[in-house]
Amino acid sequence: MDVGEFRSSLSNWLDAHAAELRPPFVGAAPLDQQIDQYRRVKRALWEADFGRYGWPERVGGLGGPSILRAVVGEEIAVRELADPSTWTMIEVLAPTIIQFGPDDLVGTMVLPFLRGDELWCQGFSEPGAGSDLASLNCRATSADGGWLVNGQKVWTSYAQYASQCVLLARTGSVESRHRGITALFVDMATPGITARPIETQHGRAEFCEVFFDDVFVPEDRLLGKLDGGWQIAMDILPYERSTTFWHRGAQLLHLVDQLVRQVSDGDQSSSAVKSLGEAYLAVMAFRTRSRDTQYRLAAGDQLGVETSIDKILIASAEQLLLDSARDLLPGSVEFDDDPTAAIWRTDFLYSKAATIYGGTSEVQRNIVAGRLLGLGSEG
Amino acid sequence: MMASSADPAAAVTALHELGWVDVLNESPAQAMAMAFTSLGRTGSAASLIDDIVTLALGAHPSPTTCVVLPPPHSSRPPGMVIGDSVMIQGLVSGRFAQATRVLVAVVDDDRVQVADMDVSEFTVIDSTGVDPSGGFRRVSARLPVDGIERTTADWDVAIANARIALAHQLIGASRWMLEAARQHAIDRVQFGRPIASFQAVRHRLAECLVDIEGAQAVADAWTPDADRLLATLAKASAGKAARTTAKHAQQVLAGIGFTTDHPFHLWLRRSLVLDVLVGSATSLPAEIGAELLRRRTAPRLVDL
Repeated sequence: MDVGEFRSSLSNWLDAHAAELRPPFVGAAPLDQQIDQYRRVKRALWEADFGRYGWPERVGGLGGPSILRAVVGEEIAVRELADPSTWTMIEVLAPTIIQFGPDDLVGTMVLPFLRGDELWCQGFSEPGAGSDLASLNCRATSADGGWLVNGQKVWTSYAQYASQCVLLARTGSVESRHRGITALFVDMATPGITARPIETQHGRAEFCEVFFDDVFVPEDRLLGKLDGGWQIAMDILPYERSTTFWHRGAQLLHLVDQLVRQVSDGDQSSSAVKSLGEAYLAVMAFRTRSRDTQYRLAAGDQLGVETSIDKILIASAEQLLLDSARDLLPGSVEFDDDPTAAIWRTDFLYSKAATIYGGTSEVQRNIVAGRLLGLGSEG
Repeated sequence: MMASSADPAAAVTALHELGWVDVLNESPAQAMAMAFTSLGRTGSAASLIDDIVTLALGAHPSPTTCVVLPPPHSSRPPGMVIGDSVMIQGLVSGRFAQATRVLVAVVDDDRVQVADMDVSEFTVIDSTGVDPSGGFRRVSARLPVDGIERTTADWDVAIANARIALAHQLIGASRWMLEAARQHAIDRVQFGRPIASFQAVRHRLAECLVDIEGAQAVADAWTPDADRLLATLAKASAGKAARTTAKHAQQVLAGIGFTTDHPFHLWLRRSLVLDVLVGSATSLPAEIGAELLRRRTAPRLVDL
């Protein structure tokens, strides 16, 4: 299918159904309402077939390139129909499950996720394993017919809503590092799992701590190979940085658009105008770079460490943009109670996480230096 | 293509004989990317920017036709009709030395026209600048408006084309500077280990590559029918990448990079000049911000 035609028929459909798809709230609503809105929009798009393009037929999709999913995500983001960070969980997890999950599991379990009936979560980070993910400690020990999982995960987005979790667990010794990690697909309804939302600065408790206490995972819930979890984690990254990033980049561009519409007509300081230009510049540097990445993925290229550049670009673009918004809309971040302003405040505070989550900018620079510039090993 | 070409004017003539202008006409985006990246990487002073602007102004390029570019940091037409005089202030490339004909964009009552002038009308202001081998100099002229042949032209298109060409040249120069610093970091041993093993050095060089690749993506996204804002973005981000890279590369090259024994200074000098042509990394972000506020929308510019 031609991407341009797909976009225009999707746009037409979204415009025609704008009234029923619009969120029933203004501004930064409680997370429960945002999740309900997400499910509603996801379901509607699925039933109208737009949500099925770009997914293989064996999971209920209609086939076609993944770029079609990027287009859907972009059009949802610029219309503010659903929060992009919720929208993109699917992009992070579903391709991996489709690639590594057992066939019968994939055939039945992916559809409810794609259709918005379910949310899933990603159990990677731990209190002692942030940037150094390979030191993770949550343990899966052999039990009759499967494993028993014990330990803690943290920064697990939407765990309180999730019905499934892609979990990285330690199956070898801690010293085995990345070689002794296994990926499991865990039913969140299993006894012994506790998800506790974390209060964050920006007031949106999407991250959780998740505790696993003798949680039984049947052996058919293995993803990939025993002790092969690191490979799966590494394979998730490029997905996270292609389609997902395109959605987030579209949202950033939409925020620039909102910003220049909301700025008052009065004199802006020259430094504020310049900061706006720099922010747009950074957003567009990311957007053009990310477009190249989407095309490479569509052409069947194996994405790898070069996506660290995409990650650094989008994180710095987000921070430049929200810093600029704070200057151009004086007082909105600091004082304003208006629901529109509350979004700027939330986004401003959240932007500070952009250089931290998904691999800090420092870790990304280490990767760029070591793997792309060939600077050898660190001292 | 023009590596180590000792005589930039001979390189320009050779390229013209090889059909460079035809290639430029047929596929401008690719031709500019290839030629100007190469100029930037090799440090060649062959002045091809004159051909880009000449063509965009609707005139026919030749090795003896040069153009006047706007003054440093500016993108306004270098000529202005004031009363019955034309006042010209701007920059010329090294091609000026061989030129018989000089094209100048002139503003007359908000209309932009191209004046076709003789080289003898101009005064060269500077003997040498920070980049003597690069050939760019400031010029001025003042002459009666009567008797100057003028045709209408689209200055915005000329500026957009010049910005894309120079963006590629800045990116090429930045890649050279980064590679020089990278090699030095690997070779130079202090405290018993290569300085490339220190994270402070690694992160500086990583930042250079991130800026360069960002600028490259913007420049590569350009097509002749693109919104002119895209060319502005390309020049601004390439200028920023060159500034970041020059700064970090010089710090990593340290002592040797400060000498003229190391060729780094040649690329540093060139990038200082290229940055201020047709708008700089300082002036363009303000221009972009003002343009967004004027439009009251942030265009997507590129789509999947």
